[in-house]
Amino acid sequence: MRIFSNTSIDFLGRRKIAYAISLLLLLTGLVSLAVRGLNYGIDFRGGSEVVLRFEQDVPVGELRSVMRDAGVSGTIKQYGMDRSFLLSTVFNGDTNELKSLISGALNSHLKGNPFEIVRIDAVGPSIASDLKWSAFKAMGAALLAILIYVGIRFELKFAAAGVVAIFHDVLIVLGLFSLLGGVFEVMPLEMDQSIIAAFLTIAGYSITDTVVVYDRIRENIRNRKPSEYEQIFNESMNRTLSRTIITSCTTLLTVLVLFIFAGPAIRAFAFAVFAGILVGTYSSVFVAAPLAFEWIKRSKAPVKLRGSQKA
Amino acid sequence: MKNKRYNLLLIVGVTLLALWSLVPTWKEYSLGKQLEAFSSPRDSLNFVLNHRDEIEDARQKGLKLGLDLKGGMHLVMEVDQIDLFMQKAWNRDAKFDAIMEEVGRQAAATDADVIDLVSAAFRKQNIRLSRYFYDIRNSDSEIQGKLRKEAADALVRAREIIRNRIDQYGVAEPMITTQGNRKIIIELPGISDENRMRNLLKGTAKLEFRLLREKGALQRTLDAINTALSAPSSSGSSNDAANNGLYSFVQVYGSDNAAVRAENRELASDMLKRPEALSQLPPDSELLLAARADEADDGSRLYSLYLVRKTPELTGGVITEAKATFGSQGVQPEVLMSMNSEGTSKWARITGANIGKRIAIVLDGAVYSAPVVQSKIPNGNSVINGIQSLEEAKDLEIVLKAGALPAPVRIVEERTVGPSLGADYIRAGLQSLIWGFSAVVVFMIFYYRQGGLAADVALVLNVLIVLSVLAGFNASLSLPGIAGIVLTMGMAVDANVLIYERIREELAAGRSITSALSEGYDRAFSSILDSHVTTLAAAFLLYTYGIGPIQGFAVTLMIGTAASLFTAIVVTREIFRLLVSKNLMSSKSFG
Repeated sequence: MRIFSNTSIDFLGRRKIAYAISLLLLLTGLVSLAVRGLNYGIDFRGGSEVVLRFEQDVPVGELRSVMRDAGVSGTIKQYGMDRSFLLSTVFNGDTNELKSLISGALNSHLKGNPFEIVRIDAVGPSIASDLKWSAFKAMGAALLAILIYVGIRFELKFAAAGVVAIFHDVLIVLGLFSLLGGVFEVMPLEMDQSIIAAFLTIAGYSITDTVVVYDRIRENIRNRKPSEYEQIFNESMNRTLSRTIITSCTTLLTVLVLFIFAGPAIRAFAFAVFAGILVGTYSSVFVAAPLAFEWIKRSKAPVKLRGSQKA
Repeated sequence: MKNKRYNLLLIVGVTLLALWSLVPTWKEYSLGKQLEAFSSPRDSLNFVLNHRDEIEDARQKGLKLGLDLKGGMHLVMEVDQIDLFMQKAWNRDAKFDAIMEEVGRQAAATDADVIDLVSAAFRKQNIRLSRYFYDIRNSDSEIQGKLRKEAADALVRAREIIRNRIDQYGVAEPMITTQGNRKIIIELPGISDENRMRNLLKGTAKLEFRLLREKGALQRTLDAINTALSAPSSSGSSNDAANNGLYSFVQVYGSDNAAVRAENRELASDMLKRPEALSQLPPDSELLLAARADEADDGSRLYSLYLVRKTPELTGGVITEAKATFGSQGVQPEVLMSMNSEGTSKWARITGANIGKRIAIVLDGAVYSAPVVQSKIPNGNSVINGIQSLEEAKDLEIVLKAGALPAPVRIVEERTVGPSLGADYIRAGLQSLIWGFSAVVVFMIFYYRQGGLAADVALVLNVLIVLSVLAGFNASLSLPGIAGIVLTMGMAVDANVLIYERIREELAAGRSITSALSEGYDRAFSSILDSHVTTLAAAFLLYTYGIGPIQGFAVTLMIGTAASLFTAIVVTREIFRLLVSKNLMSSKSFG
């Protein structure tokens, strides 16, 4: 079976439209980031989260009022599993106290409905700032490593365009998180460590896609004149298009499986990776390669990609 | 074609190695299944006894499940370095305390190095560190070095003491490591009573024997504090309750007793910490509350207040043995302690010199009991009573035996997963694995036919390698780790997709299947290498900067990606070579 064989799409010719779409997406995200901000999870803001599971369903309103009367501050939301609720509150070093407060309130007010505390996460403020810092370092180091590696394997302009594409992808997903944060009850889309993992996965995926296109460009560009570059770029992208789409499909399939089956702890991560792969696939064709093209077109000198001379 | 046999051998070798290292995991699983099959507990006990070595071996070498799948606690504890350094300072004054308090606030909110914060704070005030620490002739950097060493020692000691406590409590396979210069990471799988564990871990276990002040002193001091606090404060008080004085919370009764109602405990103890109150204390004295409330006649619960000397007569360092038991009446739990020879002779001297007086037994700043010394105690025995339950007595025994922590240790991060949620996670993880695998396998066959089949064989080997590497290196599999495997399955076929698309192109250009195969593999290789290296780099950085659960994800992603370089290239190529030699491939083989 073949879906995308022998396409000849003029990608570069449509790059202005693509830039407009990208800018629109980026701007929407940035405005949302500025206005709505991000929903930070306890990993980054510090705090305690308790997941309660009841034997029979309880209306969330009733649970809220019981907790409020008991003096447990914080928010209660439906958790993404049956009969479960997530209580999030400020961090205090004494989990036992929190637990006994909760148990006391529930045992006296919801007697006929036994419950279980299935998960407790508590992150102190110093840890939260540590995690935040680590996340920045990891992202920064990943971008730098990619810039250096692609710079060595291809050329700096190509590497820089690839890193811009990663920025593009991560920022759009970040904007999406800001825009949709808190909208879905079962999927709060909070920024936590798993989302950082998603961003690094997206970065790796995005550059993989980009590198495959670059690789084909390198193969075709040997001994050709700068005037033919546009045609070479387009041809290379068309030749790799099938692979790009198929790999995206298999990866999206597995991410979709994670989203559906892996439970609430993984859901936001799967959502981020799903969105990231869509954007990353788009950006390798419509952002990274066109940007590299613009740059070498302006620099006038014939491009010398490392490794393109041999073989 | 020397290469050919070599590659085939390599594939067989890797496959066998992967299977071999998963044998214990399989054994563990099947032994568990057999155990479940028994109906009576006696049968299963017999089975365990008969197969003890086998079970133990399988459990040790098998694939381990992470805390989130098995249920358990992940704790990060932090040594209170501010407290440690305050202990080391030799002429503390109000200014010093104020600076350290400020640093303490900063340290709680960030992860900055405490010694740097301390140095910066003192430099800002233009005070040399040597004014308070070590030798006056030391330079700031020398003192920083010494404090750093002190902090490192304290961390190691704290880890050992915590390990002792956990070992004595009895937890199967705990993991206790240090991180940075003030954190201890504790992983406790399958804890049944987490509340007790937290209590056991957080106490400093600093035991002190302190003399109570003379008769009448308590009443006099409380009077003075009451007057001082009732006086309209110059700062314009923000707290009305405080202006009513101490006696609205503290009841004095009898000649030498005072107590606080349970509900007012926090309030009163905050009040007693205010500077106005502290300044009214007699020299070398301290007001301490009882560890436990007593039931009064009217049913209210009261915490007694004690005025004790600040300097302890004796500290817990001399304790060599502790034993939880029931007291003479056989109902009240207590802990018997014995001392080393130095402690014994000191204890004899102290008790001998203070007959008729009361000595408070203070643990972590709370008074457990304050018995009147009846006679000289020559044998170095002492006892803690005023304990509520035997369980608490047992925990006290554990912490006293393990020794006191060099400084208080706090829980700064906790992730606890109950066993029932762990079971849910396992189910969710297995479902994701099965569905993810099926989706990719079906898709590949559908799209690439024979080629897809070969890629699927490679995928099976890939997953086997990930699991066997985890089992072989004693790493554990967590839910994020499973997510990593599922995601890798989607990405690992990328190498095959690259190759197959290339082969299709070559076939379309009119090459024979043999030459299309070799061209496809050769030409796709550099793309595959570049794309894998970038994915590996991202995963590696995630592993380096991430913690706990995220590292599990990064590890499986790394192993899977690296393994796919082998499985997707070498293995599939070998399969095609075999098929071609048997004339089983045509130009239609790649769909």
